[in-house]
Amino acid sequence: MNDNRERPEQSEDLEEMLQRLWPEVRRRHLYPELPLPRFDKSGSPVGMEIRNKQIILNVDYIEAMAQLLPVETILEALLDHGVSHYTCCPWDLATHLRLYARAKKILGDNDLARTAADLFMDVVADTHAVRERQSSLPQLYRSGARTPLEEVIFSLYEEIWGVDLGGKRNQDAVKRLVAIPYLDKRRWLASLTRFIRGIRPLLEETKSSSPDEQTRMGRHGFQQYAPEEIEQALREFARDADSPEEFAEVLEYLQNELESPCDKSGEDMGHGAGSPVEANRLYYMKLAENYALPLRKMPLKDSGHLHPHSHRPWEVCQPFQDLDPWSSFGKYLPGITQIWERREGLIYGKKEKTPNCLVIIDSSGSMVDPRSQLSYAVLGGGCAADAYLRHDASVAVYNFSDAPAGGREYLSFTRSRPLIYKVLCRYFGGGTALDVDEVTSVALEDDPDIFLITDMQITNLDQTVSRFSRLKNRVTAVHVGKKSGALRFIKASVKNKNISVFGVNDTNDIPRIVLGSVRNYLALE
Amino acid sequence: MFNPFEDFKDFLSKAKNLPLDRLAAAHDQIMGDLAAGYGKLVEQELKSLVWFVEHNRVIEAYKTATEVIKEVSYDAHSIEDFCYVLDSGTDIPYLISGPAGIYIAALCNNADEDAIVLRLGEMKRTLHFLGYRLPYGKSLRVEGDAGNFTGSALQGGEVTVTGSTGDWAGAGMTEGKISIHKHCGRNTGEWMQGGEIWVGSRIRGLGRVASGQIYQAGEPVGPA
Repeated sequence: MNDNRERPEQSEDLEEMLQRLWPEVRRRHLYPELPLPRFDKSGSPVGMEIRNKQIILNVDYIEAMAQLLPVETILEALLDHGVSHYTCCPWDLATHLRLYARAKKILGDNDLARTAADLFMDVVADTHAVRERQSSLPQLYRSGARTPLEEVIFSLYEEIWGVDLGGKRNQDAVKRLVAIPYLDKRRWLASLTRFIRGIRPLLEETKSSSPDEQTRMGRHGFQQYAPEEIEQALREFARDADSPEEFAEVLEYLQNELESPCDKSGEDMGHGAGSPVEANRLYYMKLAENYALPLRKMPLKDSGHLHPHSHRPWEVCQPFQDLDPWSSFGKYLPGITQIWERREGLIYGKKEKTPNCLVIIDSSGSMVDPRSQLSYAVLGGGCAADAYLRHDASVAVYNFSDAPAGGREYLSFTRSRPLIYKVLCRYFGGGTALDVDEVTSVALEDDPDIFLITDMQITNLDQTVSRFSRLKNRVTAVHVGKKSGALRFIKASVKNKNISVFGVNDTNDIPRIVLGSVRNYLALE
Repeated sequence: MFNPFEDFKDFLSKAKNLPLDRLAAAHDQIMGDLAAGYGKLVEQELKSLVWFVEHNRVIEAYKTATEVIKEVSYDAHSIEDFCYVLDSGTDIPYLISGPAGIYIAALCNNADEDAIVLRLGEMKRTLHFLGYRLPYGKSLRVEGDAGNFTGSALQGGEVTVTGSTGDWAGAGMTEGKISIHKHCGRNTGEWMQGGEIWVGSRIRGLGRVASGQIYQAGEPVGPA
């Protein structure tokens, strides 16, 4: 064995070397915010993995490779690879999810999609490290046994890096892969599509012959990301996903990958959303977070009347008429006797407040099933609910199909976002009739704003319009699509200053809705 | 005065030039040239709003396509990538199936390679006229589906489609072989003058076959 090849017989030596090399690697990569890597013994032929941003180097792999290469070179190469995943590709969880989703869409199979996305990310990260950071990765790849997948990928590296990695030249297999602009981030999705087209036969062959095969850099699990990233990534991915189903599929995969799924049933970050329906709810929650609807507050003012509000201890200098003997143990002693604190009541006036909101959503058969396609009704209802929740108001949801026949679900006023979305995402798919009396009774309870979203194909539309026009509540009616009922509703509500009508034909229309907006803002005064 | 960026000074000029830079740029250039050629063909052909498949018009379109690609340097893989460029509708906003298919056929027939494989399985649309006039000694394998007039006027080449084709497959072919692994549409082999068409599964309808042979699932079915 060559003298300059070290054997890492004591892990302390490796630790010292890592302590020495890590600042240099960070310097070359322009000081990424990553914790000091650590060592682990996994017994697998994989060189490294990343968990919660920390690179974990496999001592077994390093020991095996140390027979062929200086340990310093191995460490540097592994660190370059790991850091490039953080600084270049995939960069963040949102990008990782996008790449995986594209691969899944093309290949249809979870394992194949994962392998394809992993290989693509490896090629991009390695090429970035070699081109921009003078990495010693080629030396590492030149040594050691190779899997069939690695043979092809290393042939690709030979072509695109212009180096000799000493393997079998496999030009035919990589011909489709060599001219892909791997380092152009804007074209990664298109590049991945081309990459998969070129490598698909090999992936399918590898899956059938050795399904557990992986490259020396291992697989890219989602454990490498910080938990805080998940929420942001899901929000971005909800915007990019073609359908709720695609979101649900990727979410399911994400959940399976995460080590400790949260069992809060979608309370936060969505780890607990196990079934497709739950995934749908999370999809609309995350998608709605991308739209911030403006909300005009209801003008409220002081009523001028004082009413007993709370107690405070009585002092000698204060008047007797507000004493509350029932809370004073029958005593007239300063500090013990309680006196009523009076406060002025609020009525509609100049001081703005946000009333609560009743979201009425149509989930009849003429509406889109939110589980299979993007439902503008659910998204619009979710955006409206979020807007009111952001202003400290409560939201009630009335989801209806054929309400008089029992096809309805009512959630009373609450501030629980998951509960609100649960009812919003419910799909009945039957006929369409509104139980006007029931809705009116809720509307009269607390004078909430009303947000109605429907395609206006309501059997008792005239009755609904007539009843809404008699209410004093501010009504925002949103019609999805252009159906005849929408025109009737618009015509019937022209004279009613408390009703605003908006149309939604695609997601771009949603930000145009101004909740609680009325034609005459002070019409109620 | 201490310069906090001093540490980064030596990083600025260290990026290596890899062969990838050249390869990717060359590929983009080829796609641009192929798109420009297709644009010329469309300009020539789109004198009316609707493109009708007429015998003379197809011949004229093919002639124009052959002319415009003369100066373009490309390989078989570029053809496949260009099919996806056409399909994406972003770089080229006007995919007209007829002229597009004839353009692809002209590219295949004039490519340096004798064996061409087009993996078109992920395309949203199908292209017509794939394999049109494919000459003797060349083979075209389409992985996925193909549109109408697949292998029409075939001139001795070998066309394989791993999916299904539309109508008029092998129309007017003189010699060569067309293999369709799944189904094919109506008027299959219309005015066929020779050669063979092998269909793995259903044939929706046979055309008026003058000569040659059509097989369905290994059994001869035409000419009647």
